Amino acid sequence: MKPATLEFIKQRFTEYYREGHLIAPPSVSEREWGFMYFESQAAAISMHRHMAFSAKRELFDYIRNVVPAHIYYSSAYYAEPAAPTMGEKRWYGADLIFDLDADHIMKGPYHLMLSKVKEETEKLLEMLTEELGFEKRAIRVVFSGGRGYHIHVTDISIRSWGSRERREIVDYVRGIGIEPRTIFSRDAQECAGGWRSRLQDVMEEYLAWLKERSANEALEHLTSIGGIGAAIANDVIKGIEDMIGELHRGDVPLLLRRRGVKTILSEKNPEFRRRLEECSARADEPVTTDTKRLIRMPTSLHGGSGLRVTPLAVRDLPAFDPLIDAVVFGRREVEVEPALTTSTRFLDNDYRVEKGVTERIPEALAVFLCCRGLAEIAGGRSIAAG
Amino acid sequence: MGERLDLKFLARYPFLKESQEYVGERVLDLDRFLSSGYGRLILNRGAERVMASIGFKGVLPGEQVGEPERALYSYALARVIVSCIGERDLIERLCRYEAAKATALFLEEGEEGQKFVSSRLGIDLGSREMPVVKYVELASFMRSESWRLVNRAVCRGRVRLEREELIELMREQIRQIIQKQLPLQVNAELCEKIAPMRQEILRVLQEQTLQQFGEVQESSFPPCMRALIDAITSGRNLPHQGRFALTAFLHTIGLSNTEIVEIYRRAPDFDISKTMYQVDHIAGARGTEYTPPSCATMRTYSLCIGKDEFCERVGHPLRYYLRRKKGAKKKRERGSGDLPGDSPAGAADDGEIDEERNRVAETIARHRREDEEKKDEEQQS
Repeated sequence: MKPATLEFIKQRFTEYYREGHLIAPPSVSEREWGFMYFESQAAAISMHRHMAFSAKRELFDYIRNVVPAHIYYSSAYYAEPAAPTMGEKRWYGADLIFDLDADHIMKGPYHLMLSKVKEETEKLLEMLTEELGFEKRAIRVVFSGGRGYHIHVTDISIRSWGSRERREIVDYVRGIGIEPRTIFSRDAQECAGGWRSRLQDVMEEYLAWLKERSANEALEHLTSIGGIGAAIANDVIKGIEDMIGELHRGDVPLLLRRRGVKTILSEKNPEFRRRLEECSARADEPVTTDTKRLIRMPTSLHGGSGLRVTPLAVRDLPAFDPLIDAVVFGRREVEVEPALTTSTRFLDNDYRVEKGVTERIPEALAVFLCCRGLAEIAGGRSIAAG
Repeated sequence: MGERLDLKFLARYPFLKESQEYVGERVLDLDRFLSSGYGRLILNRGAERVMASIGFKGVLPGEQVGEPERALYSYALARVIVSCIGERDLIERLCRYEAAKATALFLEEGEEGQKFVSSRLGIDLGSREMPVVKYVELASFMRSESWRLVNRAVCRGRVRLEREELIELMREQIRQIIQKQLPLQVNAELCEKIAPMRQEILRVLQEQTLQQFGEVQESSFPPCMRALIDAITSGRNLPHQGRFALTAFLHTIGLSNTEIVEIYRRAPDFDISKTMYQVDHIAGARGTEYTPPSCATMRTYSLCIGKDEFCERVGHPLRYYLRRKKGAKKKRERGSGDLPGDSPAGAADDGEIDEERNRVAETIARHRREDEEKKDEEQQS
C-alpha cells in the first residue's frame, strides 16, 4: 500500500473515531483487548493483545489517539484481563459467540456472499430463539464488517459454560452428530419441529431425488457411499417407492430399519449430508467452543473493508443491508487508481473500475477499495512492498 | 417435610445441605474426632466407601445405608480421604459412586421423599421436560449419542424427556454437586492421619486402572507421541504444547507421574523439579482436568508428525492407542503376527468401547464425534 493510501485510510478512520460513534461492550474492564495497527500491517501481521482498560473513557481515548486498524475484545470475562497468561487472567465466564462467515458457505461476488450469510444468520437466530429458547434481548447480532455476522448471547445463566456445553449448542445448530434412528425412536409429543421436521424434509427431498435417477445412476451413487455394496443398493432402488410411502405415513422407524438405509440417510452420504447442511446454520464451530476468543468490537471499523462492525437488534436484521447500512463515509469524490478491475455493488449503485484507469469515486467506496487492497489513492508515490 | 428430614433420610442423601449441616454441627473439630476410637472406626468406614468406589462398575444391588449417623460421617470422611490423596481419578470415582448410590436409594423412596429430593435438585420428574440450559449442563457429560441435544425434541427452550431419562440426569446432577465441592481444603496434619490408608487405596486404584487399560504398550503409541519421545531422547527442546500433549497422553493411559518423569529423564537438559511440577500440573494434582489434545489440535500446533494409515481412522491419539492395542491383542490371540498391531484389525469394532464404564471411554466417546467430523471435513475438501 502506498503511503498516501495509508494516510488517506488512517485519516478517514481518525475522523470516524473522533466523531464519537463508539459504544463499549458490557463489562469493559473485565475484557482482554487486542489491536492490529496500520503501521504493522505491512510487516508480519501481528495482534497486540493482553491489554485492558479500566473504563470505557480510557478505551475510547486510546482508540482515538492510536486509531487502530482492527479492534478486538475477549468474549471472556477475566479478573485480571491484562495478565500475560490465561492462568493468571483468571477466567470466570464468557459470552456465547457464533461466527457466520460467508467464506465457509459459498464463493462468489461479495454482495451475494453477504446476502447468503445473512440468510444463514436468520436461520441461526430462529433456532436460538424459537427452539433453544434464548431471549431476544440477550442476543446481539453484529455485522462483522467483513464477510459475515457475529452473534453474541450474553445470557448470564450460560456465562460460566465451558467448551463442552458450548459444543452441545453449536452441534445443535450445525446438525452435527445427528442420529435419525434416535430422533425418530421417540414419539413426537407435541414437539415435532426442530431437527425432527428438518430431517423428515431432507429425507423426502433426497428420496425424491434418488427416485429421479436412472437405475444406473442410482446404483453408481449408492455404491459410492462407504459401506454400501451392490446388493444393498439394488434393494434400495427396488424399494424406493415403498420407502417414500413409509416416510409419508410417518413410519420412519420402519424405513430406517431397512438394510443400508441407516448409512444412506446419514452424514456418510455426501448427497444427503449436503442437504442436511443446507438446513443447518453454518456457524464456525471452533469460535463457539473457544471460551477465550477475541472478537471484533461492535461500532469499530474493519480495517480490511472500512465498513462499520454494526450491532443490530434481532428485529432489525431483515432490513439490514451491509453495503448501505455499514457504510460510514461520505460521497465526496476521491481520485483512485484501481489495482484490479473490480465490479462492486455499493451504496445501492453498481460500480465498475478498470485496472490502472484513474477514476473519481465517492470517498466511501474509495475507503472500501483501498482497505481491501483493490485500489490506491491516485498520484501518491509508491513504495516497494515489504 | 420436617418429619421427612429424619436422620435416616439424611443418611441416604448425604450431599444435601441439611445432611452436611448435620455433620458440620456435630463434628466441630475433625482432628479431635479422628483421635477418638469412634472417629477411627468411622475413618475406616470412609476408606471402605472410597474402596467401594474404586471397584464400582455401575450396578448397586440391594444398597444398604447402615446406621445413619455412621453413614453420614463416613461420607464426610470419604471426601476428606480423596481430597488428601488428591488423585483426580479417585475423586471422580467417588463422585460417580455416591451419585449412583443416592439415585438407587431415591428410586426406593416414597413419593414425598422423592418430591423433596427432586425439588432440591430443581428437577420436576412429573413434567417430562427440562429447560435447555439445565439439560445441556447435565447431558453434555453423558456419553451416548442419544443424549446429544441435536438428537432431542427441543421446543421453545425445553427438552422433552422420559421419566427414566430425567432420573439419569438427576444422577448426573448429584454427581456434579458432589464433584464441585471436591477436593476439600484439608490441612496437612489431618492428612497425616490418613497417610496409613493412602498407600493401600492408591495400590487398589492402580490395579483397577491397569485392569481397565491393560499394560502400557509402547509399540501401540501413535506416531506423534513416539515422535515426541524420540525428540526428548535425542535432546531436542520440546515446545510447551508438545510436553503437554505427551504428558497428558501418558497420564491417561495409566503411567504414574514417576514413570512419566522417567521418560523426560532421557532428555539432556532434564531438570527434575521443573519436570515434576509440570507433570503434576498436567496430571491433575492441582485439580484442573487435562485430557490429551485431539488430532485436530495436534495439527494446529504442528505436532501431528509421522501420520500413518491408522491415523486416518481416528480423531484422537488416545483412540489410536486403544485401537492399535486391541488390534495387537487380537493378532496375538490368533497366534500369528510378529508385528503386533500392524494391520487395522481393531478398526471395525467401535461398539465395544461403549461397554467400558470409565473416564477414558467417556473421553473417547467425545472423540469419536470428532472422528466423524474429521471424516466430514475430509469428504468436503
